[in-house]
Amino acid sequence: MAKAKTITTTLLLIWCITPLLFLVFLSVSIQWLYPHILPQAITGVHWHSIFTPYNNITQSAAASLLIAIIVATLAVAVGFVVARFIAYHKYAKRLLTLAYFPFAISPVIFAVSLKFYFLKFGLAGNILGIIIGQLIIAIPYSIIFFTSFWNNSVHNLLNVAATLGSPYYYTMRHVVLPQAKPFIITCFFQCFLISWFEYGLTTVLGYGKVPTLTIKVYQYISEANTYNAALCCCLLIIPPLLLLWINKKIFLKHTS
Amino acid sequence: MRFLFKNTTPLILLLAFAVIPLLLGMAYALLYSLGMVGVLHDGFTLTHWIAVCTSTDVLLAFTYTIAISLVSILICVTLAAGITVLLGSTLRKGLTSYVVYIPLAFPGLVAAFFFFQFLSNSGLLSRLAYQVGIISSINSFPNLVNDKYGIGILIAQLFLSLPIFILLNVSILHNENAHALKVLAQSLGANKWQVLTKVTLPLLLRKSKPTILLSFIFKLGMYELPLLLGRSSPEAISVLTVRKMQRFNLLDIPQGYAIAVLYAILVFVLVTIVVKPNNNNVHG
Repeated sequence: MAKAKTITTTLLLIWCITPLLFLVFLSVSIQWLYPHILPQAITGVHWHSIFTPYNNITQSAAASLLIAIIVATLAVAVGFVVARFIAYHKYAKRLLTLAYFPFAISPVIFAVSLKFYFLKFGLAGNILGIIIGQLIIAIPYSIIFFTSFWNNSVHNLLNVAATLGSPYYYTMRHVVLPQAKPFIITCFFQCFLISWFEYGLTTVLGYGKVPTLTIKVYQYISEANTYNAALCCCLLIIPPLLLLWINKKIFLKHTS
Repeated sequence: MRFLFKNTTPLILLLAFAVIPLLLGMAYALLYSLGMVGVLHDGFTLTHWIAVCTSTDVLLAFTYTIAISLVSILICVTLAAGITVLLGSTLRKGLTSYVVYIPLAFPGLVAAFFFFQFLSNSGLLSRLAYQVGIISSINSFPNLVNDKYGIGILIAQLFLSLPIFILLNVSILHNENAHALKVLAQSLGANKWQVLTKVTLPLLLRKSKPTILLSFIFKLGMYELPLLLGRSSPEAISVLTVRKMQRFNLLDIPQGYAIAVLYAILVFVLVTIVVKPNNNNVHG
């Protein structure tokens, strides 16, 4: 039994860590020709090229970061408010189902159905359009996420605060928000990742004119530029890894 | 601040971001597929719907996507349950508790790129096989990506979903106090196998059922994985829809919209099953 446990743990660790190591390996390789396992040289030239003016990977990373921060902030704010309305509504489950539909549908199919309206209102092919498009997915997620926060215990807290004469603003600021803080941070991370990972919707609504990092990865794959594609993949993985580590290290420990 | 929480503002926000875009998108797709709007629209017609409903490609795409999603979920749930039961508390502490999170940081596109570079004929696995003498040339390596069985897609989906189910199972076992239930069952005379099949696995399956169903719905909409790891026939629903929309033949666009409507109906039905509106209160 102990041996089976050790083998399973080892395999699980290899399974989880190999893709990360392999992508880093590819991003520092040149001339990785078949059937060699190792490339002809290991180099930092691809990573160094990020900072050169002819390579616009930095702009793509900045665009992705900006879009993800705006989307996550707005999604959290709207989701928090709407989730309270839904959670204490007479027809809570019916309203929640409405939030599930846009979140469950394939973003790329959703985007092709909405493309006409985005073109009509001048939102196709620009950052504003991408932000609005991603919000249509991130806000329903945020609503679903926050309905678990607005439970009976928070409802009772609100009632107690009101009975004791606490003004609404004071209750929200000093009672609800401190309770909601871990939820807000986790939801922000999740919405950030929804936006950061998004490819299908961004490619359809952006017409390739908004070169986010995911668009850049696909562009490099199409050009068979494996090393730069791997480099962009590494850049795409770093922020989520940091967020997951912070989430695990601080918030999960805190909430448990 | 109070105005934000009044009934009208949240309702407007809910309608603006969740309901109206969906209704507008689906209405446009339906009208386009019926020939009522669009570049070559010529009045109401069912031609495009008849073409879609009788097309082997469309039938194949739906069957293929559903089959891949079902197989992927089945493998994932089984493996996750096995790993959770076997490793138990190891998954909650030390290096494992961190490393198991790593796949969650991978976007679908990155996972697809990795598995293409890893499993393709010129990939790392093929090179290893060549170096140890299992294969003699690049062509001897079996097709694990862009193959007709979707092996590459299945493996990539497993990579992305396995941690979610492992973490979910760990959390269920912890929250439901599975250890106490196990001790109780053993004290009542149950053996290890009975504890596993009558207590632990039913508990895991019952509690993770909504997540399993939701995961299945999300997999139906997969795009990046089949785009890079799939082949042109059979195609995943999303890939087929987008391809129809982006063709030079304008007559294919209404068919693309018809497929989008069919897919949306399938998702609506499944979501309604997952989120049963029989309880009036979310917390009820």
